[in-house]
Amino acid sequence: MSVTQVNIPGIVAEEEAAERPAVRRKIDRSERTRRIVRSAVSLVVGVLLWEAIARLVVHNDAFLAAPSAVAKRGWEMILNGELLSNTWVSMQELIYGFIIGAIAGIAIGAAMATWKSVSDYLEPWIAGLYAAPMIAFAPVVIIWFGVGIASKVAVVIMMVVFPMIINTQAGLESTDRRLLTVARAFCASGPRIFRTVSIPSAAPFIVAGMRLAVGRGLVGVVVGELFGSRAGLGNIITTASSVFDMPTLFVAVVTLAITGVVLTYLLRAVEMRLAAWREVA
Amino acid sequence: MIDAPPQTKSKLEVKGVSVRYINKRTGAETIALDDASFSVGSGEFVCIVGPSGCGKTTLLNCLDGLRPVSGGRILVDGRPVSGPGPDRAMVFQSPSLMPWRTVLKNVTYGLESQGVAASEASERAQKMIDLVGLSGFESYHPGELSGGMQQRVNLARALVIEPEVILLDEPFAALDAQTRELMQAELLRVWRVTKKTAVFITHQISEAVFLADRVIVLSSRPGRVKAIVDIDIPRPRTLEIKHDPLTNQLERHVESLIDSTLTAEQIFAAAGD
Repeated sequence: MSVTQVNIPGIVAEEEAAERPAVRRKIDRSERTRRIVRSAVSLVVGVLLWEAIARLVVHNDAFLAAPSAVAKRGWEMILNGELLSNTWVSMQELIYGFIIGAIAGIAIGAAMATWKSVSDYLEPWIAGLYAAPMIAFAPVVIIWFGVGIASKVAVVIMMVVFPMIINTQAGLESTDRRLLTVARAFCASGPRIFRTVSIPSAAPFIVAGMRLAVGRGLVGVVVGELFGSRAGLGNIITTASSVFDMPTLFVAVVTLAITGVVLTYLLRAVEMRLAAWREVA
Repeated sequence: MIDAPPQTKSKLEVKGVSVRYINKRTGAETIALDDASFSVGSGEFVCIVGPSGCGKTTLLNCLDGLRPVSGGRILVDGRPVSGPGPDRAMVFQSPSLMPWRTVLKNVTYGLESQGVAASEASERAQKMIDLVGLSGFESYHPGELSGGMQQRVNLARALVIEPEVILLDEPFAALDAQTRELMQAELLRVWRVTKKTAVFITHQISEAVFLADRVIVLSSRPGRVKAIVDIDIPRPRTLEIKHDPLTNQLERHVESLIDSTLTAEQIFAAAGD
C-alpha cells in the first residue's frame, strides 16, 4: 500500500518524533561506570578499615578476625573441599525450597487474584503468617522433619511462599482494566487474556517478589541449620562459634553474603529485562 | 436534511436498543440508552455526537459486543451481535497499547487471537504501520511514542484485522488541537484507502462534520436518536474545508440540535406538570 502520505503535506510521523532511546543508553553507560567505581572504592576502604581495626585496635583473633586471616582460612577451606561441600548443601536447601515455594506462591497468588472466594478464605492466614516472624517456627520444623535437608527446605518454603503469594496477587490485580477490555474486544479467549495481558503485567511484580524471597530464603537456610543440621554454612557458623574460631565463622558469613548478593543481582538482571519497557515509559 | 431515509444496503443496523444499569448499592435504575434506532450503510462514515453522559460510549461498547443490550437488536450484515467478533474492531479512547509489546506486536495482537500465522500477521501489520505513517517505529515500545503516534498504533491495530465495521471512541480527545486536526485528516486518508464502514463517537461538532457522511445526534440521558444530519460536503476533504461556509453552516445546525435538547426536555417536563 504505497498510497501512504499522498494528500496532506507535512503529515509524517516525525511531526511528533519521540526521543531516540540510543542516546539515553549511552548516558546510562558512563553513569553506570561511575557508580561501579564508587561501590568498589567503598568496598576496598571498608575492608582496609576492618583490617586496620583488627590489627591495631583489637589484637584478638577470637574476638575479631582480620580480613587477611579470614582470606587465609577461606583458601584452606577451599583447598580441603570443606567450603564448597558445605556451600553446596546450603545451596541445595535454598534452591529446592525456593523453587517449590515460588511455584506454590505464584499458583496460590494467581488463584487468589482470579477467584474472590479463594482470596477470602486465605487472606486472614496469609496476612497473619506473613507478618509473623516465620523464623520462630524453624525449631518446630526441625523437630518435625529432622536434621536432614528436608527440614531446611521446609523452612525455606515457609520464608519464600508468602512474599510470592502477595506479589503475584498484587501484580495480577493491578492489571490495567483497559488492556483486559482491549484483549476481549480483539476476541482473545480467557486463557489467552491471562497469558498475554495478566502475566506480562504481573511479571515485574513476580520477579520483585522473587528478589525479596531469595533473601528471606537464605536467612531460612542459615537459621534452619543453626537449629539443627549435619552440614551447610549455618552448621559451620554454629560449630566455629562454639570454639571461638572467628576466621572460620567469618568465612561462612562472607560466603553467605556473596551468595545473597549474586542471587539478588541475577534476579535484578531478570527484572530489568522483563521490565525493559518500563524504563522508557 | 434531518431524518434521512434509511439506507437500502445497511451494514450495521441498530433497532430499538436500550441499555439500563442497576446501581448495585442503591438499587436505582439508570437508563443510559432508550430505544435508539439507526442504520449505517456499507462504506459509510457516521459520527455520533451528543452531550457528555448521553450514552455514546455505552452505545459503541454495545456495537462491539463488549456490553449486552437490555432491549432491541444490533445487526451486522443481518447477523445479530452477541459479543466481540472479527467483523468489528474498536479504536479505544485511550490508546490502551500493551506497554511490553513493540509497535509491531501491538498491531498483530488481534491477528494472533484469530490464529493468523506469525509471518502473515507481521506482513499485514507492517502494511498497516506504513499506512498510518509509522514506518521505522515498528520496534519501539509505546512508552517511547507520543500521544498522536500511540493513537496511530491504536488505529492500525483495529484496521489490520480487516473488520467490516470500525468503531472509534473519541480517539483524538486527548490530543492537542493541532495534532487532533492532523489525525482527523489522516483518518480520512486511511479510511479512503481501506473503505471500511466507520462509526465515530465525538463530542466535538466540528470533528463530526469534517469526518462524517451523516451525523447522528443523541439527546442527553437517556440517550435517544434526536436527529440525523446528512453532511453533503464533497470528498476528498482537506483541512481547508473546515473554514468553508457550508461546513460552518452544518456545524451551527448540528450545534443547535444539541443545544435545544435540554430546552426541549425542560419544556416537556413543564408541560407534564
